[in-house]
Amino acid sequence: MTKEPILSAKDVEVQFSLRGNYLRAIRKCSLDLYDGETLAIVGESGSGKSVFTKCFVGMLDKNGKVTGGSILYEGNDLAKYKTEKEWRQIRGKKIAMVMQDPMTSLNPLKKIGKQIQETIELNQGIHGAEAKKQALRLLQTVGIHDPEKRFDQYPHEFSGGMRQRVVIAIAIACKPQILICDEPTTALDVTVQAQILDLIRSLQKELHMTIIYITHDLGVVANVADRVAVMYAGQIVEIGKIDEVFYDARHPYAWALLSALPQLGVKGETLPTIDGTPPNLFNEIKGDAFAPRNRHALQIDFLEEPPFFDVTPTHKAKTWYLDPRAPHMEQPKSIQKLRDGSDNRPAQKIVHPHEKPDREVLLEVKDLEVKFGNKRHPFVAVNRVSFQVFKGETLALVGESGSGKTTIGRSILRMVPTSGGDVLYRGTKINGKISKSLNEKIIRNCQMIFQDPMASLNERAKVDYIVSEGLYNFHLYKDEAEREEKVQQALREVGLLPEFASRFPHEFSGGQRQRIGIARALIMEPEFIVADEPISALDVSIRAQVLNLLNDLKAKRDLTYLFIAHDLSVVRFISDRIAVIYRGQIVELAEAEELFLHPLHPYTRALLSAAPNPDPEIEKQKKLLVYDPLMHDYTQDKPFWEEVCKGHFVYGNRREIEGYRRAVH
Amino acid sequence: MDTKELEKKYGKTESELFSFAEYHPEEAEKTGYSNYSYWGSVVRNFLKNKPAVIMCVIFLAIFIFSFFALKIGKYDYTDLRVDNKLKFTSPNAEFWFGTDNLGRDYWCQVWYATQISIKLAAVVAVGEAVLGIIIGLIWGYIRSLDRIITEIYNLISNVPMIIYMTLIALMIGQSFFIMAVSMTAFGWLNMARNVRNLVIMYRDREYNLVSRCLGTKVSRILTKNILPYLVSVIIMRLTMSIPGTIGFESTLSYLGLGLDVNTPSLGILLRNSRSYFLDYPYTLFFPAIIVSLVTITFYLAGSAVADACDPRNHV
Repeated sequence: MTKEPILSAKDVEVQFSLRGNYLRAIRKCSLDLYDGETLAIVGESGSGKSVFTKCFVGMLDKNGKVTGGSILYEGNDLAKYKTEKEWRQIRGKKIAMVMQDPMTSLNPLKKIGKQIQETIELNQGIHGAEAKKQALRLLQTVGIHDPEKRFDQYPHEFSGGMRQRVVIAIAIACKPQILICDEPTTALDVTVQAQILDLIRSLQKELHMTIIYITHDLGVVANVADRVAVMYAGQIVEIGKIDEVFYDARHPYAWALLSALPQLGVKGETLPTIDGTPPNLFNEIKGDAFAPRNRHALQIDFLEEPPFFDVTPTHKAKTWYLDPRAPHMEQPKSIQKLRDGSDNRPAQKIVHPHEKPDREVLLEVKDLEVKFGNKRHPFVAVNRVSFQVFKGETLALVGESGSGKTTIGRSILRMVPTSGGDVLYRGTKINGKISKSLNEKIIRNCQMIFQDPMASLNERAKVDYIVSEGLYNFHLYKDEAEREEKVQQALREVGLLPEFASRFPHEFSGGQRQRIGIARALIMEPEFIVADEPISALDVSIRAQVLNLLNDLKAKRDLTYLFIAHDLSVVRFISDRIAVIYRGQIVELAEAEELFLHPLHPYTRALLSAAPNPDPEIEKQKKLLVYDPLMHDYTQDKPFWEEVCKGHFVYGNRREIEGYRRAVH
Repeated sequence: MDTKELEKKYGKTESELFSFAEYHPEEAEKTGYSNYSYWGSVVRNFLKNKPAVIMCVIFLAIFIFSFFALKIGKYDYTDLRVDNKLKFTSPNAEFWFGTDNLGRDYWCQVWYATQISIKLAAVVAVGEAVLGIIIGLIWGYIRSLDRIITEIYNLISNVPMIIYMTLIALMIGQSFFIMAVSMTAFGWLNMARNVRNLVIMYRDREYNLVSRCLGTKVSRILTKNILPYLVSVIIMRLTMSIPGTIGFESTLSYLGLGLDVNTPSLGILLRNSRSYFLDYPYTLFFPAIIVSLVTITFYLAGSAVADACDPRNHV
């Protein structure tokens, strides 16, 4: 690339002061941005990817400041900017930002249109009717239908995806040269995410913008980026064109990150994991920050920070492995597999529990119905759902937010009252009013793992209490010594040190906290576990740890899981069967591989087409299918739940089912 | 960096430097350990607020001194005698704060009254806290009781407190005990409402769902999961309530609705001096200055403690 960069950051350092200590969030990070490209910055939480780009628009938090380096843009050094007046020349006009959460970046008390109009009036000096006209045009540009009507609505009348469109409209109101998108789709459903990514892409062409994408999702990166930068502990460790980084990564962290993806895992095998957690940036980091977690680190990694080595003119990585003096390191298998595009389906046929002749139904849900709200305005969250869970299997329940998947999980465990249907556990009805002894039996045999490890632990109690809460409740121990023994046993089982028992939750990272949550459920010795999105709040490198742990425990303790998730591509690795749920109704249920090979219901197809895949080749070719529930004509021909072929259920009317049957055979 | 430089810097040969290091999984497991402790941060934040620390010292000094003052004073409160010859003696070496309209030593009366006022405030604060926290927890957590307790709350809080106090003083009587009970009986309202609002905030947090899922009893959820989160707010309310009680007691006593005349509180002393203070300003001056000092210092120190207890300020 001979082009001049339009923005050039050099050796940028950012520090935050926190409780009297200094946190080095960015450690001498350099980046050149070229005109018209899309650069993706990937990294785990805390890697500094967000902070780094916030320096470009002067939006660091109050306790942080740029302490070194330069950011050259149009002949000015942005690192030297201090006053708001200086920043206002850049922010919004030249460099704009789209934030993660559309809920918080719009003012809930102002009409949508007014918020856009305001930005135009503030930055372009156009007023009144002229500005309104432009705002309406912007709404049209970002794909909002009927902008005249939408102009006068408030943010709460918009869906999450629509809100993000409005945020984007505000960001592009002044036709910025650079648009920074900070996890723009993380809070959105996969199908909506795909639409927003498409929108940003088309806007980029139309307005000739340069885009920086910040994300932790390698699937999104594969979809959008021209170039990728991988960040770790406040530094870019590898940067190159998308194909170069995905198919020919050189930094051990990039290897680990790609290998740990559940999408690339082979069912029945363990995922390669990265041990531990990213370093604490309060401490001085010596050498390569990733060295302590690297199983094949060199001695020099612990002593001297590696420089950047060029792999190709456009691809460089910061690792001693590329030094001619270093021993040759083979790229891990998964990277090679990604490059060769080979299939990651299991080599031999795995026998799933539901296919065994002596299969045993552990849990059965029949016509389950859950209603919220009052009699006058009922909201049906779960609409006559039926499925069986066989002993020893992992049944995944996949759907978008608001589809009722969590409600199903909770109503099985009696945390949400049901308004119709039966939940049978080993043939006994367990919903509605039940005896105290049965209730106790259910609690001890059926447990739950929660989504957000940050919210699901009591911050003011020690790990010891948190883990033994269930023991206390039913007095499942003889004496104090036995209880302590059980707690330590449970902690060891989830890969934590027994001495962690005396600490408080805030001392642990997300992955460790999630393991504490698992230990808490395990100590009751359950046989059935509802795992409610146990990995969606975790970083990529931690996900693999937790998935492996869940699989290990399943094998060791003969557990049965109901695994609730919103991401189809992740559950493919862990589950035996998958049920797809849409608006409180299961639309399709099949063995996992079967579902991926022959998706029948249009909603499943849409979901599959939208799921991001961490392979740029596949992402380039993918066609987005959009599901519209109005496509079904159920006025005459009523829909029902039918087994189309062995073990493959679909919801549809007679005509549709016939079509599905033909498609399978 | 070339080989020679590296070799010199670390005292290892090239082949050593570029050989594989041993892998220690426990090094990788080392957490981003934070040494944050809640109470440690509370103390540190409070100590950082210098004016508040000074206020706190002044308050404690007054309270402790009130005991010494009674010891070193020349007269004992219990054997004070009416002596009309000595009435309205200005402060001098014998009577450090002068004498009152009946010729009794004012020094021991003022300090004794200080103790009574602080004691009353402390008793009321503890009573309010216990009653308010228990009712607030139940009010917030048990949905079926929400309506009833809300109505009771409205019923009590919508009638001005001064009317209740007047009725109690006229119909039941006036004493330290009655005063403490009646002030507690109305003081819990604010505490309970505060606690209830917070319980509703924390009630449906995920960690409480976890406890429900584990079959934890409501009483244990309330004491182990929710109460610890309310500490900062409870402390804040208490520190507001103590100067409030002292001030309110003074007002009531001044109006003649508070303590009986035989139990001197700062309010009673203020009430007595009402008729004479234009001629003998010291009779108003001493109790007034102590009421002001006690309430202001405690209030300022207390709100600093409350700020320090708020985890949001622990940056």
